[in-house]
Amino acid sequence: MIASDLLDTPVHDDAGAHLGWVVDLRFVLDGRPSTYLAGARLHGLVVSPRTRTSFLGFERSDVRHPWPVAPLLRWLHRGTFLVHWPDVARVPGADDDTDRGRDPVVVLRAGYVRYEPGL
Amino acid sequence: MKSRLLTVALGILTAIGGFLDAGDLVTNAVVGSRFGLSLAWVVGVGVVGICVFAHMSGKVAAVSGRATFEIIRERLGPRTAGLNLVASLAVTVLTLIAEVGGIALALQLASSVDHRLWVPVAALAVWLVLWRVKFDVMENVTGLLGLALVGFAVAVFLLGPDWGDLGAQLVPQVPAQESAAVYWYFAIALFGAAMTPYEVFFFSSGGVEDRWTVRDLATSRLNVLVGFPLGGLLSVAIAACAALVLLPAGIQVDSMSQLTLPVAQAGGTLLVAVVIVGLVAATFGAALETALSTGYTLSQYLGWSWGKFRRPAAAPRFHLAMILALVVAIGVLMTNVDPIAVTEYSVVFSAVALPLTYLPILVVANDPEYMGEHVNGRAMNVLGTVYLFVLVVAALAAIPLMIATEAGG
Repeated sequence: MIASDLLDTPVHDDAGAHLGWVVDLRFVLDGRPSTYLAGARLHGLVVSPRTRTSFLGFERSDVRHPWPVAPLLRWLHRGTFLVHWPDVARVPGADDDTDRGRDPVVVLRAGYVRYEPGL
Repeated sequence: MKSRLLTVALGILTAIGGFLDAGDLVTNAVVGSRFGLSLAWVVGVGVVGICVFAHMSGKVAAVSGRATFEIIRERLGPRTAGLNLVASLAVTVLTLIAEVGGIALALQLASSVDHRLWVPVAALAVWLVLWRVKFDVMENVTGLLGLALVGFAVAVFLLGPDWGDLGAQLVPQVPAQESAAVYWYFAIALFGAAMTPYEVFFFSSGGVEDRWTVRDLATSRLNVLVGFPLGGLLSVAIAACAALVLLPAGIQVDSMSQLTLPVAQAGGTLLVAVVIVGLVAATFGAALETALSTGYTLSQYLGWSWGKFRRPAAAPRFHLAMILALVVAIGVLMTNVDPIAVTEYSVVFSAVALPLTYLPILVVANDPEYMGEHVNGRAMNVLGTVYLFVLVVAALAAIPLMIATEAGG
């Protein structure tokens, strides 16, 4: 699996309701040191309910500038949340027959928790 | 202290010489010969714009050590940034073609040997410099020799114009014999010539190459704020030369030699020789910058190692990208396409490609995670936002105007 398999994919809950799209992946650098950086571990997915466009990184902080770009993007991406990787039940994969003939989707576990997307 | 002063002076001088490229040379002469100085205000708007843009991207490079296209990919995501890469690369390669063509045309002026014979020689020379010459030597030599374009300003004085008359032309107005659509089409072309995306890729990546840190911020700001406006003044001088000699004679610029006609009339062979040195240096410098920019953008997007501070063997794909861009430039110019026409198109497409490059820089310049205490102040943000609007409007209007006016007719 590569990042592009997840980015832009629709996200459903366990009942099949549409929750939004994966707009970013959150990684944690806490693995073993390798050539340049410590190994990255996928921490969770940033899900935006209304749009699959980029949030330009505004979800990570409470930066309000430059006007009007920041307010506009915040409005467009209102309701964006972070789900932790263990809350993800199923992701689209190459060997996944259940998705055949349908658009690939990310499905979350029942009882998943929505976290604030800020760092 | 003395050496520091020297560094600043050198920076400013190279910024003046580095501001002008084939796009500025041709567009200003074309505009001067058709519109007089009635579009000179656009050069002012473009110079302030490139100052804002270069200042922000230079600051981001100095504080965070990150070059422009790394940030574009990080902020726009791989797909949008990929589209942006394709657009930016296309414009940059188009500009490279124009610059290599410009070197060849300038050498034709000096030698009377056909420019198509000069094209491979020019491209080979560009490649040798990219391969062997150190970054700061390359920057300083072309920048300083490019200063010979001051010859255009000298020519304006030697032509002894009626200054009141020339000053009166500075008022923005559509000349009687031209339509409003054509006027605005050339306004966008001039704007695109002043604010080409490659200048920013080069400037910010160059900051990383020169290993700028926060301590270099003041120097970088001074270089930009003094050097680019002086370069802009030279642009206006080129337009003024054309306005004084070519406009009354009804000559429309469609070749490099017409650029030097007013200079010849004003200062004779000697001044023409000086100006030709400037033309070769300016287009050569810009060819280096655009070739490097193709390597920078591609490598930064794909995460390849890049930079002239690395030996070619340590950044092979970066150097290969530049070689391929030069081969494409030779190939296109060998099809007998008119380099002047390529230049005229390249400046308009520059205006189209700019907003997506500009926006991520504006966003990151506001992000304290990258910039710490050096985030944009209120005044810089107001200016930055005003220019975001100007860029978007110019980008949206460019193609419709190009079609409506048949590229300026």
